[in-house]
Amino acid sequence: MSIQIQNVSKSFGTFKALDDVSLNIEHGELVALLSPSGMGKTTLLRIIAGLEWADQGQVRFHGEDATDTHARDRNVGFVFQHYALFRHMTIFENVAFGLRVKKNRSSEAEISRRVTELLKLVQLDWLAERYPHQLSGGQRQRIALARSLAVEPKVLLLDEPFGALDAKVRKELRRWLRRLHDEVRATTVFVTHDQEEAMEVADRIVVMNQGRIEQVGTPDEVYQNPATPFVYEFLGDVNLFHGRGYARPHEVELFRESVQSSIAATVEHVAPRGAAVRVELRAADGGATIEADLSREDLRALGVVAGDRVYVRPRKVREFEAKAA
Amino acid sequence: MAQSPARPYDLILHDAVLGSLVLEFPPSGPAAPARRSAREEPALVRGLLLAAALAFLGLFLFLPLAAVFHEALKKGWQVYLAAITHADAYAAIKLTLLAAAIAVPLNTVFGVAAAWAIAKFDFRGKNVLITLIDLPFSVSPVISGLIYVLMFGLQGWMGAWLQAHDLKIVFAVPGIVLATVFVTFPFVARELIPLMQAQGKEEEEAAVVLGAGGWQTFWRVTLPNIKWGLLYGVILCNARAMGEFGAVSVVSGHIRGETNTLPLHIEILYNEYQFAAAFAVASLLALLALVTLAAKSFVEGRK
Repeated sequence: MSIQIQNVSKSFGTFKALDDVSLNIEHGELVALLSPSGMGKTTLLRIIAGLEWADQGQVRFHGEDATDTHARDRNVGFVFQHYALFRHMTIFENVAFGLRVKKNRSSEAEISRRVTELLKLVQLDWLAERYPHQLSGGQRQRIALARSLAVEPKVLLLDEPFGALDAKVRKELRRWLRRLHDEVRATTVFVTHDQEEAMEVADRIVVMNQGRIEQVGTPDEVYQNPATPFVYEFLGDVNLFHGRGYARPHEVELFRESVQSSIAATVEHVAPRGAAVRVELRAADGGATIEADLSREDLRALGVVAGDRVYVRPRKVREFEAKAA
Repeated sequence: MAQSPARPYDLILHDAVLGSLVLEFPPSGPAAPARRSAREEPALVRGLLLAAALAFLGLFLFLPLAAVFHEALKKGWQVYLAAITHADAYAAIKLTLLAAAIAVPLNTVFGVAAAWAIAKFDFRGKNVLITLIDLPFSVSPVISGLIYVLMFGLQGWMGAWLQAHDLKIVFAVPGIVLATVFVTFPFVARELIPLMQAQGKEEEEAAVVLGAGGWQTFWRVTLPNIKWGLLYGVILCNARAMGEFGAVSVVSGHIRGETNTLPLHIEILYNEYQFAAAFAVASLLALLALVTLAAKSFVEGRK
């Protein structure tokens, strides 16, 4: 099911969580809402779910106005950052909940079959009789996902789904979510403040800042062609030339001799980073820090060490209007 | 004090033990003795504190409790049984149970509703509601009783109207029930509000998104999560409902066999120098207290 968000605004007191946000999400897409913490992206997700009301604007599911539809009738799956499993129920009952509260309830055998199927999908069918507090964080989040899928939602919403987990589990679950999405094919929206997570998992990324959408695009687009300085700085490291030209570290070249439109700089630090080497420099004129990523071969050919005087030229520069700074 | 010469010796021993620790773990060594002494009081101080606490408890709690049963049974079982099976005592027991049977369910429902509203929703006037719930705790029970006399008494605001319709509230059973309800009003709500606030509303939200209606959410998610806290509040509420004296005393009128609750009946007997009978009836309330404590500690363990 596709989702259309039209001119949605939401304030909490004087704080503007969402400021005239419009967004189209296609059927079957996996979209990441990405912004630094506490910037309204969770609010947008909750408005889509019907857990929060927009002050203004509309939410449409597949073209149909759902703005006044109660959360229980929206048929969405919602996964909370802190899992929100029912603590007094077994894992089985947690997953069965959505099937049990349905108006025309299925038979006990049918519920049992479906729950087992979902637990197998998240590879945790052996935990059916346990209670939530007996599970690890990663297991709980997978159960939360299975529970939300029980009602066969057309839309799956995840609020910082991996935010409370440690780095390794997080990485595993990311890949797993991607595979699950390809299998289930529900329209999926997830909120994150982790750029890497958004890049790795999403079909499209919605970058938000201060209640507004800065840019919508594929991971490649938002990284290669950031629409605003905010997106440039938020998605990866960036160098600022002359106060308005932006270039990523891998888009910077180093020379021994001065070349056209290069600036002089001193090498401060050389740090290997996997396949590439990060060179930190200080511009001779203003003292701004510049970062350059070189391949190991290029570095060897150039032979720079800390303290050397070199010339820096961005291979590609993106300029924004002056107000950007 | 006789023991004091022993102290320095004690301390030296102590330090010697720590000294060996220092040798084994040089980095953490210097901080260890200071921390240890900061955390742990010397044995003498601990002993004194414990003795003081036990003496206080014995003097002010155990002794009176024992005295109640001792006085009640001083003149033998016959007198005891006669006192608690007397028609007036029987009427008082019935009235006390009636007041509790109305007040406790009413305040349970109210307490759950108020706590639910306060913990799970944001609305204007929330703080006012929280303050109002505490009112019966902060007001003297005598004042609570007087309010009802002023409202429903013969000279009160509604007195003339009530008389015209032949309705009696003050100096009758309805007044006693009302006073009991008022005084026991905060117990359940006060117990549940912090519990429900700590639990947050995510589980309820999860239930709603999964398609559960309001009642389904309440019965299947909220109530099971608060059941032990709720039971705890109900037990305390019940104990107070049965034991309340001040507010009930003001609205009762002390009509024997009609408007006397157990605590009031005890007072009357005592004032008439029927000590054995007074203590016999009092022992019933004391038993209730013991049962309450036992139930309370059981529920507390489960919470």
